[in-house]
Parts: sequence; structure tokens; C-alpha cells
Amino acid sequence: MIKSHPSEANLFQYVAGELSAGLSLVMATHVDMCSQCQAAVADIEETLCKQEFGSTEPLEALNCEQMMAAIFASSAPKSVVRTPVESMLSLEGKRFNLPNTLARNRDRIGPWSHMVGKLWRAPMQVSSDSSVNLIYMAQGATVPEHTHKGTEATLVVNGTFNDEHDSYHDGDFILLNEKHRHSPQTQQEDCLTLASLDAPLHFTSGISRLLNPFSSLFFR
Amino acid sequence: MQMASARETQRKVMTSARTDNADYAADLLAQVAATQSRRAFSELFRHFAPKLQAYATRQFGNEQTAMDLVQETMTNVWHKAHLFKPDKGSPSTWIFTIARNIRFDILRKNKHRQNDLSADELWPILAENNESLDDDYSLDGKVLMQEISSYYAQLPDAQREVIERIYIEGKSQQEVSDSLGIPLGTVKSRTRLALKKLKELITAHD
Repeated sequence: MIKSHPSEANLFQYVAGELSAGLSLVMATHVDMCSQCQAAVADIEETLCKQEFGSTEPLEALNCEQMMAAIFASSAPKSVVRTPVESMLSLEGKRFNLPNTLARNRDRIGPWSHMVGKLWRAPMQVSSDSSVNLIYMAQGATVPEHTHKGTEATLVVNGTFNDEHDSYHDGDFILLNEKHRHSPQTQQEDCLTLASLDAPLHFTSGISRLLNPFSSLFFR
Repeated sequence: MQMASARETQRKVMTSARTDNADYAADLLAQVAATQSRRAFSELFRHFAPKLQAYATRQFGNEQTAMDLVQETMTNVWHKAHLFKPDKGSPSTWIFTIARNIRFDILRKNKHRQNDLSADELWPILAENNESLDDDYSLDGKVLMQEISSYYAQLPDAQREVIERIYIEGKSQQEVSDSLGIPLGTVKSRTRLALKKLKELITAHD
């Protein structure tokens, strides 16, 4: 049961195409996993459509005949959509089933690298202004306490992690900004998350302040 | 003269009201898909192009870019009408989401690299691959069960496993792909091969 969803406002921005590519990818993956948000997205698409298509421009500038002639003469736009080739992801001897959005964009997932402790990371190539990573926390892993300069969206793809506020499971979506500080950790279960970040993490607590350079591992 | 023009206006209003009706517009899309009906398309065009133009003008504030969006959206409607699924929403919402995708890409075109995530990869509304079973392969479950019970034991294990899950357990191909940990394409090809084999077995024994 997914308990942590994007806000209504975020869903509107997502449907309107107003969010960064990175955040949109995380939202799309949550929507794959969440029937409640799928229904919300369908409603919002309809609402936005009514709103945006409610008015018409006077057609002075639009030469219908000419444009239609060009359309009839055009060749079919080629589909750039990749079909999912492989939806399983293997990592550290475990297999994870990727939601459709990730499976479809599987070739954007870069190589895994071991960071520190029980953390692994694979960057996803999404766009030059978004940083998106798959982050794998083995059992008993801790990410040093940090705040966020900017907005960090995290989606649990598989497993469970906790922070000071709550515990999060498959499909949970968490959006944090510079006001929040937290230190995610796993206990008996491991956790695969998808995270997008629009600025480096900022570590705040004790010794891990020394780890601030480590934030560049997340944000690259 | 005056009368003709009044009639003309009235006709335009009526056409527009009809196209506002989702079923009517869906029917026009079906005609475009099935017979490349230019008449049906031009009715859709006259209804939706001005709405798209208003949307695009608000988004871009640039007439040329707005025109590009109108043309690109309607070009997709012309070529991809067969991808419209009436059970998933209204024609107007479908066309809106096509325009939304094009806008997403136009806004990013100039400042981003070629390999960046495109809107179609986020929202694959124009993807050709069909998630559900092709109509050719969706046989009547009950008849199929009676027919195949004695035959399907003869299928190779890998194919039987897939057929069992789809036709007995009622799973979708995506679910079978997920639960067996094999690619969707493999599930589809195994389904096709298995049904072809079954058809051969059944006709051979008729």
C-alpha cells in the first residue's frame, strides 16, 4: 500500500510538462507503480485539456488549407519510443523488476559504482540540468544526515528505508527541499530507490560534514 | 448573400458542436485511421487547430513556434490516429497530450543535448507497441480451454508456462513478463508460437 504520493500541485505540474526532466522521470515511475495517481493523472489531463482548449484563436494567421496540404504530403513521424527490452535489473546478486518507465529507458542507466559503506549508485542520463540516480542501499546502510539545496525527489522502487520521519516502501514518493533534513537508513531489508536532485546534497551533522565532498557522488 | 453567410456561420457552429462531442470526434479519428479520410481529418483539423493555436500561443508567445506546434500535433493526428484508444480517454484529451509532449520537447530543444530524455519516453502515448494481446490472439477463453486441454500438454515447457498464466490465471502479458522475469517481447513471441502450434494441433485433429 503506497502511502506517500506527490501532491496534487506536483501532479498538475507533471501533467502540464512543467517539471524538470529528472523530476518528471521520478514522477512517471511513481505513476507506473500507483493506480491512485494513474487515475489522478487521467483526471488532470482531462481538466487541463478543457482549460487549455477552452479558447480559440481567431484563425487570421492560420492557413488551414496550406497546413493540411503540408500534413497530407508529410511522411509519418517516426516513433522514438524504445520498447522495453529487459525489465529485470541485477545488482549485488539480487534481481529487481523495473517499472515500465525505467524499463523503457533502461539504456539510460549507467554503470553501477560502489560509493561508501553499503551504498551503490548508477547515474541515469536524463538531461543536462537534472541529476537522476538509482541508489541501492544494502541492509543496514546509512546515508549521513543531510539537507538539500534545491529539491530532492526519492521513489522507493523496491524495499524499505527509514528516516527520522517515517518508513517508506515500494512506490512511496518523497519530495524534500532545503527545509528538510534527514538521514535515510535501511534495517533488515535492502532498498532500491530512484532519486532526482537539482542541487548538491548538503551534509549537516558532525563528522559527516567532512563528507560534503561525498555529495558530489550523488550529484554529477 | 447575407443569408448565405448566416447559414455558413450556423453550419460552422454546428460542426464545431458536433466535434465537441467525444464520440463524434472518436468516429472521425477512426475514419482517419481506417481509410485515411481527408474529409474526416479536415473536420478534426478545423475544430482542433484553433484550440491548439491558442494553447501554443499562450505557451510560447511566438507565432511561428505556435504554428509549428499546431502543424506537428496535427501531423501526428493524421499519421497516428490508429493509436487513439477510446477506452483511455476522449479524443480531445489525447490530442492535448500529444501537444503537451511536443511543447515539452520544443522548450528543451535549444538548450539541451541530443540524447536528453524526450517527452515520448516519459509519456509514450504514440508508442506503436501494444501492451495488451493483439486481437488475433485473444481467443474465447472457454472454447479455448475445452479445445486445448488435451493439446497443450504437447507444447514446450516455456510456451506452456506462458499460456497457462495468460489463459488460465488470466494474467496480462506484462504480468507474466514480471512474474517469470523474462522480457515482454519473449512473452509475446512465446504466446504467438504457442497459439500457432495449438492451432496446428487442433486443425490436424479436426
